[in-house]
Amino acid sequence: MKFTVNRAIFLKKLKDVQLAVSSRATIPILTGIKLIADSEGIKMTGSNSDISIETILTVSNEAAELTIDAPGEVVLQPARFFSDIVNKLPDETFTVEVKNGVQTSITSASSAFVINGLDAVNYPRLPEIDTKDAFTLPVNLLKKIIKQTVIAVSTHESRPILTGIHFIIKDGKLKAVATDSHRLSQRVIPIEGTENLSYDLVIPGKSLQELTRLLDDSLDEIEVSVAENQILFKTEDTYFYSRLLEGNYPDTNRLIPESSSTQLTLEASTLLGAVERASLLSHEGKNNVVKLTVKDNSVEITGNSPEVGRVNEQVTFNDLKGEDMEISFNPDYLKAALTTFGSIEVTLKLISTLRPFVLVPSENNDEFIQLITPIRTSS
Amino acid sequence: MRYGILIFDEPERNISRKIIHIDMDAFYASVEIRENPSLSDKPVVIAKHPKDTGGRGVVTTANYEARKYGIHSAMSAQKAFELCPKALFVPPNFELYKEASRKMHQIFQRYTDKIQPLSLDEAYLDVTTNHINHKSATIIAERIRKEIYTELNLTCSAGVSYNKFLAKIASDFNKPNGITVIPPDKAHDFLMKLPIEKYHGVGEKSVEKMHGIGIYTGQDLYSKDELELVEHFGKMGHSLYRKVRGIDNSEVKNNREPKSVGKESTFSHNLVSENEVIGALRELSVKVMKNLNKKQKHGKTVVLKIRYEDFQTYTRRRTFPDFIDSEEMLFQIAVSIWEEESQDLSIRLLGITVTGLDSIVFENIPLPLWE
Repeated sequence: MKFTVNRAIFLKKLKDVQLAVSSRATIPILTGIKLIADSEGIKMTGSNSDISIETILTVSNEAAELTIDAPGEVVLQPARFFSDIVNKLPDETFTVEVKNGVQTSITSASSAFVINGLDAVNYPRLPEIDTKDAFTLPVNLLKKIIKQTVIAVSTHESRPILTGIHFIIKDGKLKAVATDSHRLSQRVIPIEGTENLSYDLVIPGKSLQELTRLLDDSLDEIEVSVAENQILFKTEDTYFYSRLLEGNYPDTNRLIPESSSTQLTLEASTLLGAVERASLLSHEGKNNVVKLTVKDNSVEITGNSPEVGRVNEQVTFNDLKGEDMEISFNPDYLKAALTTFGSIEVTLKLISTLRPFVLVPSENNDEFIQLITPIRTSS
Repeated sequence: MRYGILIFDEPERNISRKIIHIDMDAFYASVEIRENPSLSDKPVVIAKHPKDTGGRGVVTTANYEARKYGIHSAMSAQKAFELCPKALFVPPNFELYKEASRKMHQIFQRYTDKIQPLSLDEAYLDVTTNHINHKSATIIAERIRKEIYTELNLTCSAGVSYNKFLAKIASDFNKPNGITVIPPDKAHDFLMKLPIEKYHGVGEKSVEKMHGIGIYTGQDLYSKDELELVEHFGKMGHSLYRKVRGIDNSEVKNNREPKSVGKESTFSHNLVSENEVIGALRELSVKVMKNLNKKQKHGKTVVLKIRYEDFQTYTRRRTFPDFIDSEEMLFQIAVSIWEEESQDLSIRLLGITVTGLDSIVFENIPLPLWE
């Protein structure tokens, strides 16, 4: 194998596939990146047991200045080492050549590396996915949905199904739900062209986070194909494979309250600032708790950590309806939830001290919802 | 193997190689008995007598007679004495064993250069291609055994197979003074029946762990999937999964320290001009220095070998106070030796060797803060 390529463009692709590679992989070959050169271009692959990323740099891509002198394949490892080398090479282009077996030389201007590769024959395969029934999703919307829901994904393996985001495509709408059992995020959006589709999938949250890192904002659409236990996201030159989680996702519709007794409308950023300040103190205390009090047409956030001290802040709001209320919660959950709204006006809907409360945008409030369960304080 | 979304193809056996493992029988004890025949047929323990050491010291080797009493190497000499008070304790004489080992290697070298010593009394030999151009590794192993016996008056056991792992297991199978051949088509059955304790590289702790998950024989090990083995035993699991399938692609590595590094060329047309000779010496210097660098060695002595048209061959050596560390320096030295020694032109062969080698040592020089 021998090819010469533009360093910056190759490096960008290399970093893409590196997202799937863990330096701590128990199977040695998976710490590497597979390179295949053929007449069309170079294919790079990085994998772990959950995801695999494949990307192609074609000879027709002029900016890549790619020339293939000899086809072939090799696995270079660890991936990190290879990309560090490419990153530091002196010239704008560099040459990779596999000599006697797996010894690989990387040369650029007057700099030359020789590193030991592995035989690509031992690199694992991916199952074939039938792309006949592929459908497309707008990239910006998909990224937004993931970012808005992934915060609620469970990080505990005790209930594996909760480490994923539940995607339901039905009646021309895509609904995404995640919950770790203390909070829940749900986003619904209509997507044109999906009227005849029906899917119910649970995709690992970690996979989707890597997908958002991979997807460039300049991309319009991504093609999605679903197989029995995996999913393929495909752009023009990149294939992203992820495992699907097996099992039944709990029915979350019944958890979202339909009515409320108190409605507080304010700027998301205002509330975020107050909660961030209060959490400075709660983080130092034994219990990470902050209290929201609605009383006599005023709104107050308080934190009390006897070992450290107290904080209270009057919160400016735009509108307040309903009953007085006192509710305690984990401020980190509210911070994460508020961050997903950006700088818009939100409405908090509260039922009672011990019932979950929700945050919704004050307009278009049926598309996006963040739910948080309160903390019971026994006194 | 399925690993998450990934599918690994099953590893394949490489049965194209021919590997011999030679293991001397109770080596140190056998050498001592050879030197002192009055010891034969008696329990011999290579260790200082515990009486002379106040009970300290360990057994390096015990002959088969002593092993009947339960004595084995690494046991305390005191314990060995308790097990067999009449055992003859002989303090080890390593110079003697080294000499026997050197002679043993000379026998190996009649057949192959690919020799990997594991210790004084054990080595792997790759005889896929060999100096006597014989196809049968079994016959080569038998010849080596016979030569060791007739020339050194010592016995050894040999294992013959297509990889190192199997050859080593085989040599242990018919010990002492035996030979075991595991041909490719017999490897599977052999490995299935083998108790897990006999798998080379599986230590006592791992054997316990194996028993804990129901692995007692090769067959039990074979039935486990790779992921389960990796989960329990890490990288050793990865390797055992292959070994139990008769797969071990590790090379027979000659890890002896080189004493000299050299290169010579025979020319198709005799060199007749000064320019040609200088060009050839330049080329040889580059190659030798490259090889030295690869081995992280340098030396102080240069040997130049010249063979003239009439097959007269001269070697001239010169030793310098400092290490020769660049190809330019080596080249200049080679040229100056040639200029002094050259008789006439028309040279068939030139060779440059650097000897008196030492490892290149890296040391970060400290600031003289306290001087």
